[in-house]
Parts: sequence; C-alpha cells; structure tokens
Amino acid sequence: MTRGRRGGLARARIRRIRVWAAVALLAAACRPLGGEPPPGELRINLGTEPPSLDWALATDGTSFLLLEQLMRGLTRMGPDLRPQPALAERWEVSDDGLVWTFHLRRDVVWSDGVPLEAEQFVRGWRRLLSPQTAAEYAYFLYPVKNARAFNAGEIDDPSAVGVRARDRHTLEVELEAPLVYFPSLTTFMVTFPGRLDLVERYGVDWTEPEHFETLGAFVLEEWRHEYKIVLRANPKYYGPPPSLERVTGYMVDMDSTALVLFEQGLIDIVRLPALEIRRFRGRPEYRTLPLLRGYYYGFNTKLPPFDDVRVRRALAHAIDRREFPKVLQGGELPSGSWLPPGMPHHNAAIGLPFDPERARALLAEAGVDASTLPPVRIVYNTDQTHKLVAESVQAQWRENLGLAVELENREWKVFLKELVSRPPPIYRLGWGADFPDPDNFMNLFTSSSANNHTGWSDARYDRLVAEASRELDPARRQVLYDRAQRILCEEEVPIIPFFVTSLNLAVAPRVHGFEPNAMDIYFLDSVSVR
Amino acid sequence: MSAGGWAGALLVAGLVALALAGDDVSGYRFDAQDTEHALEGPSAAHWMGADALGRDLFARVAEGGRVSLLVAIGSTAVAMLIGIVYGAVSGYVGGRLDGWMMRAVDAVYSLPDVLVIVLLTEVFHGVLDAVPDLYRRLLALVLALGLVGWVSVARLVRGLILQAREEAWVEAARAVGVRGPRMLLRHILPNVSGPILVTATLRVPSAILAESIVSFIGLGIQPPFSSWGVLASDGFAAMRSYPHLILFPGLAILVSLFALHLLGESLRERLDPRQRS
Repeated sequence: MTRGRRGGLARARIRRIRVWAAVALLAAACRPLGGEPPPGELRINLGTEPPSLDWALATDGTSFLLLEQLMRGLTRMGPDLRPQPALAERWEVSDDGLVWTFHLRRDVVWSDGVPLEAEQFVRGWRRLLSPQTAAEYAYFLYPVKNARAFNAGEIDDPSAVGVRARDRHTLEVELEAPLVYFPSLTTFMVTFPGRLDLVERYGVDWTEPEHFETLGAFVLEEWRHEYKIVLRANPKYYGPPPSLERVTGYMVDMDSTALVLFEQGLIDIVRLPALEIRRFRGRPEYRTLPLLRGYYYGFNTKLPPFDDVRVRRALAHAIDRREFPKVLQGGELPSGSWLPPGMPHHNAAIGLPFDPERARALLAEAGVDASTLPPVRIVYNTDQTHKLVAESVQAQWRENLGLAVELENREWKVFLKELVSRPPPIYRLGWGADFPDPDNFMNLFTSSSANNHTGWSDARYDRLVAEASRELDPARRQVLYDRAQRILCEEEVPIIPFFVTSLNLAVAPRVHGFEPNAMDIYFLDSVSVR
Repeated sequence: MSAGGWAGALLVAGLVALALAGDDVSGYRFDAQDTEHALEGPSAAHWMGADALGRDLFARVAEGGRVSLLVAIGSTAVAMLIGIVYGAVSGYVGGRLDGWMMRAVDAVYSLPDVLVIVLLTEVFHGVLDAVPDLYRRLLALVLALGLVGWVSVARLVRGLILQAREEAWVEAARAVGVRGPRMLLRHILPNVSGPILVTATLRVPSAILAESIVSFIGLGIQPPFSSWGVLASDGFAAMRSYPHLILFPGLAILVSLFALHLLGESLRERLDPRQRS
C-alpha cells in the first residue's frame, strides 16, 4: 500500500518536473542563450581548423587570418591596402631596382623575450625555399635572386639566395629583376621571420600553444583542435596594445549554423550564407563590400570544340552577367575584365559584352551547330553558390545558343586534382588576391603558372605581364595591362570572367572599430567590444 | 482493404500523379528560370513559391518526385528481389549452405554503405556508358542503392523462414506431399510476407535520403534535374529566410512516407493468412 502511494507521488512529481522541463526548454528556445557576452572578448567564426599555423607551410585563409593577428612581417597591409612599415621601420631600393634594404625596428621582442634580428628573416626565408620544406607558397619569394633555383634543387648552397643580414637590424634583399610591388609581397605570411630554434627543438609541435612564440598583437593561448582557438593580447607587442583582451575563433563549418549562433549572441562576426543576405539588408549588423576576388569559368582549350577561339568567344558573348547578382543576392559585381574593380589598373571597358546575336554568328562562323553538338560539360566543386551559377549558365547557353549543357559537381580536393590531371572542358574557379597588385591576378594565366588549367599559352601575353611587373611608370603599366587583358578577355578567351565576389558579414553591435576591406584582412588590434 | 489502406493507396496515387503531371498542372517547366521572381513565397502564380533562380517550386517538387519515387521504388524492388531470393534459399535449405551464405552477408554488411554506393555508382556509370546521361545516372542509382540494401532484407527473410519451417502447418503441408519450391512459394513465403512488406515500405524513405547524399557528392542526379532529397537539402541552407524552400519538399517526403506506411500496414493485414477469416 505505502509503496504504491509513494509511487503515485513520485509519478506526480515526475510529471511536474516534465512540465517544467518543457517550459524551460521552450523558454530557452525563444530567448538568446548567450546571456552577457564576456567583456573584452571578441568571438569570431574561423569556419575550419587551420591546417597549420606554421607560416611557411600555411596556404589557406583561416591560417592567414590568425597569423595576421599573431605575427608581423617586414611590412603590413594598411586599411588602404598599401604596404605600411611594420617590423621594418623604413626601406630603400637601389637605383637599378635590384637591391632592397630594410631597416628593422630595434624594440621588437618575441613573446618569449628573444629580440628580433635580421638573421631570423634570412633563416626563415631559406627554410621556406628549401626543397625539404616543400612549401607550396615558396614561389612567393621567386623574385629573390637564386630563390627559384634553390627551391628547385638546382643550387644546394642556401647562402646563394639573395637575402643577407648586413647587421643585426639591416636586411638586404637582392632580386632577379626589378619588381615594383616587392613591399606588398613582404606583407604576406610566408615571408615572416622564422624561429628555427623552436622548429628544431619541438618539430611539428612548435605551433602548439605551449611552444608557439610570436611577435604580433596577440599570442596563442589555447588551441582545442576542431573546436576553438583562443588568442590573448601580447603584453610584449611593440605597437600600441590592442583593446581586446581575447579573441576566440570557433570552428563552425556551416555558415547557416554559425548564423544561428550569431543570432543567439554567441558569436560576434559571421559570414552570411548567400540566401540569408536579403533578410539582413538594411539592418545595422549588415556589412558588405566587393572583394578583390574574381569568379570565372575556364575552358580546356585543348579539347574540341573549345580549341576554336570563335566558340570560346561565342560562349562568352552568350552570358548575361547581370543575372548573377540577381541569383546570388550577395552584392556581386558583374565584371567582364579579369582585373577586378578596386584593383589598380582595372579597366571597366574591357571584356566581351552580352550579345546573343554576335554569339550565334560566331558559332556559325566556326561551323558549329549547337543542336547537334554533344552536351557541353561544366564541372564545379560542390557548393550551393557554384551550383546556382552553373544552373544559370546552363539555362543561358540553352536559351541563347541552343546548347545542351551537362553539370557535374565534385568534392573540393577531388576537383583540384582533376584540374591538374585532366582539366574538364569547362570548369569554375575563383581567385582571391594574395596582395593587391595586378600581377597577382595577371600572372595566373601565364604559360608557367601552376594555376593555369586552360592549356592556353600565349607568348605575347607572357611578355606583357612580365614587362608590366617591372614597369615603374603607372601610365605605361596601365597600357601594358590593358593590352594583356584584351588578349585574355576579348581575343583569346581561355577564361570568361563572371563577377567579383562581395563580402557579406553580420557584425554584432557590441563590436567597434571593425572595418572590413577588399582583401578580407581582419585588423583585430584596432577592434574593441563594449 | 481497411480505410487506412485506401487512404494510403490514394495518397500514393496522388503523389505519382503529381510527379507525372506536375509541369502541366502548374503551367511552368521545372527548369524555366525567371530571376525577377526569385525566392518569392507561395502565391497564386507560384503555388509553392519560387527558388533562387525563379523556378516554380511546384513544378520542381513534381519533377523531383519523379526522380525520388523512381529511385526509391526501383532500388527497393531490386533490394527486395535479391534479398528475398537469397534469404529464402539460405533459410529453407539451411545447414552448411546457410552458414556460408550468411557469412557472405556478414562480410557485405561490414562494408560502409556510402563507400559501397559511391563505388557501385562509379562502376555502373562506366558500364552504362552508352545510355544518355540522365537515364544512366538514374539506373546507376537504382542498382547501387538496391545492391546495398538487399543484405538486411536477406537476413530478415532467412530468420522468418527458419522460424516458419518448424511450425505445425508446414509439417502438415509436408505430410500431404508438398515439397521444395512449391512449399516455399505457396506456403511459407505468403505466411511471412507481412514483416517483409513492412520492411519494403520502410526502405523507401531511406532510399530517398540515400539518393540525396549520393547526389550531394556529385554522383547522383545533376542539375537542372532534382529530387526531393536534393531540394530539401538546398532549402535547408536558407531555412530561416525562405522556409517555403524546405517546407514543400519536406512535406512531399513526409506524405510519401506516411502513405507508404498506411499502405504497407494494410497490405500486411490483408496478406497475412493468419488474419484471414
């Protein structure tokens, strides 16, 4: 009896608890979970685990974002995307444009108290270029004398590479040929000074928080792999101390999930998924601006019918680029020229315009009957945006030319392998600026570029691009780039530039001093939270 | 048939009709783009709204239904056919053959599904090279999903038959001279058809989902063709801004699952000899 009654009470209590639990869950679902955000801490989404924080080996955007906070180079990109003095307080170049001398600041120490010396640059650059390191971005220093030969294993002596420490605080760099934008190159992470003593002592673990020493505005406090990375303000930083005490970067791989966390007040800055942008338009959290990032379709010019330049030009004329921003909704800028708006020497007049009549005439001229042609294959990497673009192109070519188009998507790594081993007839790719100089874009389609998957090579184009990289006079440089762009985008058309991607961010109102820029570099040392 | 069974049959018939006649009813081609009306919600012009390329979602759900139902029902049929024959032989013959056949099933079972589906789809793409793209992709999906699905069916059927073999009515049939295939086909299989049918109806929704996974990695149906699973996973990315993009494909999957369940349940009752009066 008693047992039964007690059981009944317990059941009633459980029922009540259940009701409360349901109410609590409902309340939790309706109210932001975050509560008060931690003072002095900025929370961002990194998207993925950085493959490596070793700046000689890193190649991806996540590593770059973090290393920009943790480290400094000889120069640093300013908000206007021009190189500013950083570890080098000033520099000069010899009259023949071949020898650059960088004078280092004397007050810089690493987070373990070791002072900065010119020799650390020399060792770091030799490590980057050494064939044993096998760094993908070693080519960044190819303009340096003998760097390419040393990297290719043709020279064994590292001291032959044109970088020397003239004294503790003077670094001398000798180039193969004059290069006007060299101080832009030295903003990039792979050119940062190296601490080879740490690399030798700890091996691959030297980038773990307990061993990692850096000299930027922040240091690495915590790295919970596949979950989050925490940066802490560096008390030994030579510049003005950052206002933020901490930066936490979460690794949420889906933008839509990250957005939910943003709306719950758990993350301060997120990238907006394409289809959510419309909802944020007009809200104070919304920030947008065009990036130095081009989106294009490339042809495999070795495969018929795309070995015929008239067919390539016809397909370019049959694209109405104004469709893309309507479909993607992300503030994309249609652009028929390869150099994106915002890049020096951009010329909006270049590019093949939408002209379906001309397109049909060109096809007829080439003797191609679109209705009997086997379906044209477009290959793209799996992604919502790329799929929408491909479906739009498929519909446009069908409508304007009567062309049958088949689409195929691939996982990113598989896609990259295929681009190298057997490039598809038509593929999509994008290119984001590593440094804001036209050479970074134009160089992509030279004969020797590893990123040129079109099979197209043109000696005139190669010559123009090489000449422009040495040209100091902006007016003459413009002429050279215009000529090269006309070959690329109007005459030979191994690629069809589509549009320039825009950055679409949601930034919480508590974040101040965050200014997005066209290269998507985060200057977190000037950000504060309130 | 019970009222639920009729309701299920009607719903399935309705879905099939929608899949077959969707474009004609809505007046839009499933791949006709009109970016002026992109992402619009449901209206008199677009009953289920429009997607990011301004395509009519109703026409796309109908077209997606063609792919999803074809792949799901086709691959289930393949899986059931192989599974029932294999399981029945294994369970009925028994003994050492049963042991070997079941070890083979264990071996196949231990392979990860997605990996095998990917491999098989690639193989069928190669084998079916002469078939036009869309049909080749459909056929490859049907075969690959079917060839992965038969294992659990075989196990189930074998278990059911082992159990049935020992029952009194089988003894009785044997006593009047029924033997071999006739015993299996006329007496045992009809008696165990209930659970088999239920499994079949359960396989259909999981085949719809498996199809969307395969399509996501680029081996399934390619745009502009679509399927319910692909439409739903596309819509999921924009769930908060444009709920109609996931609502209608999701409803289509839900309704088909529900209808097949009702139908399966009712068929089970009808086919089970023990429940015949």
